[in-house]
Amino acid sequence: MNTPFERGLADLRTGRRTLLKAGAAGLAISAASGVLSPGRAAAGPARRCYVLVIDGTRPEELDLGVTPNLTALRDGGLRFPRAQSLPVMETIPNHVMMMTGVRPIISGVPANSIYDRALGEVRDLDRETDIRVTTLLEQLRAAGHSTGTVLSKDYLYGVFGGRATYRWEPFPTLPVTEHSPDVVTVQALLAMVRDHDPAFVFANLGDIDRFGHADLTGGSLRVNRNAALADTDAQVGLFLDHLRRSGKWASSMVIVLADHSMDWSHPDRVVSLAGRFAADPLLAGRVQIADNGGADLCYWTGSPGDRAAAVAAMSSIARATPGVLEVHQPRDLSLGANAGDLVVYCKAGWRFSDPTPVANPIPGNHGHPATKPIPFFVAGGARGLPTGVSSASVTTMDVAPTVAAFFGIGAPATGWQGRALISRGASQG
Amino acid sequence: MKHFRHGVASGDPLPDAVVIWTRVTPTRAALPGSGKGPRVRVRWQVSTSPRFTRVVRRGTFATGAGRDHTVKLDVTGLQPATTYYYRFGYHRQWSRIGRTRTAPAPGSAPANLRFGVVSCANLQAGWFAAYRGLAARNDLDAVIHLGDYLYEYAPGQYGMGNADVDVRRHVPARETVTLADYRRRHAQYKQDRDLAALHARHPVIVTWDDHEVTNDAWAGGAENHDTGERSWARRRRHAHQAYDEWMPVRMSGTARLDGKQLYRRLAFGELAELTMLDLRTYRSQQVATPSPAVGDPGRTIAGREQLDWLKDGLSPDRPLWRLVGNPVMIAPVTFGALPQRLQAAVNQVTGIVPDGGAAYNTDQWDGYTADRRELFEHIADQGVRDVVFLTGDIHSAWACDLPLDPATYPVMGTTAGVEFVCASVTSNNLKDITNTPPRTSSVAVENVLKTANRHVKHLDFDSHGFSVLDLTPARAQMDWYVIGSRADRDTAITWSASWATDAGTGRVRRAKGPVA
Repeated sequence: MNTPFERGLADLRTGRRTLLKAGAAGLAISAASGVLSPGRAAAGPARRCYVLVIDGTRPEELDLGVTPNLTALRDGGLRFPRAQSLPVMETIPNHVMMMTGVRPIISGVPANSIYDRALGEVRDLDRETDIRVTTLLEQLRAAGHSTGTVLSKDYLYGVFGGRATYRWEPFPTLPVTEHSPDVVTVQALLAMVRDHDPAFVFANLGDIDRFGHADLTGGSLRVNRNAALADTDAQVGLFLDHLRRSGKWASSMVIVLADHSMDWSHPDRVVSLAGRFAADPLLAGRVQIADNGGADLCYWTGSPGDRAAAVAAMSSIARATPGVLEVHQPRDLSLGANAGDLVVYCKAGWRFSDPTPVANPIPGNHGHPATKPIPFFVAGGARGLPTGVSSASVTTMDVAPTVAAFFGIGAPATGWQGRALISRGASQG
Repeated sequence: MKHFRHGVASGDPLPDAVVIWTRVTPTRAALPGSGKGPRVRVRWQVSTSPRFTRVVRRGTFATGAGRDHTVKLDVTGLQPATTYYYRFGYHRQWSRIGRTRTAPAPGSAPANLRFGVVSCANLQAGWFAAYRGLAARNDLDAVIHLGDYLYEYAPGQYGMGNADVDVRRHVPARETVTLADYRRRHAQYKQDRDLAALHARHPVIVTWDDHEVTNDAWAGGAENHDTGERSWARRRRHAHQAYDEWMPVRMSGTARLDGKQLYRRLAFGELAELTMLDLRTYRSQQVATPSPAVGDPGRTIAGREQLDWLKDGLSPDRPLWRLVGNPVMIAPVTFGALPQRLQAAVNQVTGIVPDGGAAYNTDQWDGYTADRRELFEHIADQGVRDVVFLTGDIHSAWACDLPLDPATYPVMGTTAGVEFVCASVTSNNLKDITNTPPRTSSVAVENVLKTANRHVKHLDFDSHGFSVLDLTPARAQMDWYVIGSRADRDTAITWSASWATDAGTGRVRRAKGPVA
């Protein structure tokens, strides 16, 4: 079972999850075992919440005039201009922070890609067991609320696994791929909400990020990126139309945010540390690097007794490398042991490419501090939701406590480091 | 005799403290700069009521000739976001009553902040109607003064218009060089009716530009300093001492007159943080003409220590609006083909166009591009948004985006923030130099500049006045108010233009009208 989708298929084959009737577009949704009558109740849930992650969007991109639906939703809700992604500014850790309310040092998920010391290989954190704490999805289910995940990227599908009551299963309708287009993802979202009406849905729309990564005009015209913005906005518009026409809007809170921002590098602005480490007598052959675009996670694999000297050597070499912005100990960024021995950030307009200078050819990257700012707003028709613009500093970690406040549930035993952005009283109207 | 002749003032509001100031004249001989007069104790009171029915803080303060009989103290133990009244007493007299206001509490989320913004008040060039306009407002949290609070020139040296007409004459009647000179000049300005009213009405947050010492100052000298005026270090030390004595400001974080460092930071809850820069004390000498030296990394406008400190404060973790009180313009300004006939006049006001038409004012950040590049790269590297530079110095009104790269800005629009530049209170602008009516000869220059610099969205070379900066979590808006004739003490004040930047955009846009 190498890929997340293969593991998902195994869930169905072994009966851990049940494949429900496909939606109108042939989209497949599975239910957790034990959900024997997954049909919605006549009245539906009393409160609904949808978290839509518009992956990799820069906050100012909602002011370009190409996202009328998202911009109107933002301006009618409560907006947070200081919102930030948290280290490492990558997709998996920030989605996990949204659903756990804690930093990677507690959740166990510091980056997209890590060096797994037990396996002796660099891998994505795409396994259900990679999350070490109780997620919001489990909390809500325990409190009697049905939940759903509509995740467009294979590693997100994998890391959240079978936690939700309902899960979109992309693979029956798509070839095994890393990402499904938003036009398909939103159809899946609509099918899940129409047919099963979960009280909470966590959805990732990946087009803006994927087109940003690949946009060779990202450093100039951003032609493909802007087209993706307009298209994703239209898809979100379809979903909002459904909420309004179906009457769900009046009981809904919609949280829209990005997991990280995006930065474009130039072809000549590439940082590759592996070769420099290999040229050092102490480090040669004893360092592994997990390349996360704008951040390299460096792991000492030599003798524990040499670790301090090795980290000092790695740090010194990295600091002297053009394009490197900062070097951090993982603990200083609350990342935990999975993040290795050293985290290296690049400057804006640069990218890492390790282990070789051609390993990462894509121009759009994130993971470094330039990609911290994100759009983040709370909207919806549910009574008591605040509106306006807030000067508060907020992060992806605040999503779980905010959703929990909306449903009136408290923190899990492992606690939260984020905070609710709506008051429990206000959200109850 | 009248013991409080120089008014009262307050400044540098913190959530729990504010500096209050006055000068006492205990005897007829104890005049500013005289070095004469006894050591005396002055009473002070702070109240939440203008009638002082509830005095919350009180005390006495000892002063004497050694500090030119100035009184300056840091009143602590105050409540945040609260209006207070203060006064000073000596013998049986009370000073006029001052009003001040503390900053919002740390972590609080003010819905709104509003500041007056001013610079460049040359007493000889006219009346301070702009200060009158600010003093008449009841809606300001503080007034930010971006420098050239006073001028060093002798009568006849720098007055109104091209003919240097002195609407009023400086005291002392010579260029300020000695400690006594600077003290007397401060005393003269403090006795201006409109400036005194402003100080009594609002706390001020000040920085200096060059004229608080002398024209085009740098770390080791100044354009307007020569060997006949004795050593530069001595002159600057005296000017700074008088400034510390006479201004309600904390130097090195203290009101005790033992501080040296003017650059500092003030926070206003989660809504804003104001970083006030000192761009004269540590800067390298200006280059005389445009040359590759403007980009020499060995040259600096801020100094290493201040630049690092500035960068530390420009962080996504700091309050929403990262305001920078910036004495000289940071927006890059290059020139297209400027009409030859106007080049000299434009250069006299702005210093932008040296002979030969090259494209720098080497006294602004354009003359120290390595520092600017480092600062802007920091802003991009750290993902810092909503940086607003508030600038004076150049006697004209500007609203600009700050391009990360001027060459790609017209296509990409990527910025490091925005800049709002206030007009001068009285100091000469372009129409004053060309001696032409407003909105005639300057319009062509403005259009040339805006065409050659696509990031410059608003430019008014003709007006004097003040600005009001209004902050909400959604946007920062600058309103420009202009005065009529500087020679008319009671000239009318009218709204001129408004520009805003929406949170997260890093771009300026025209606003429909003033906030109030």
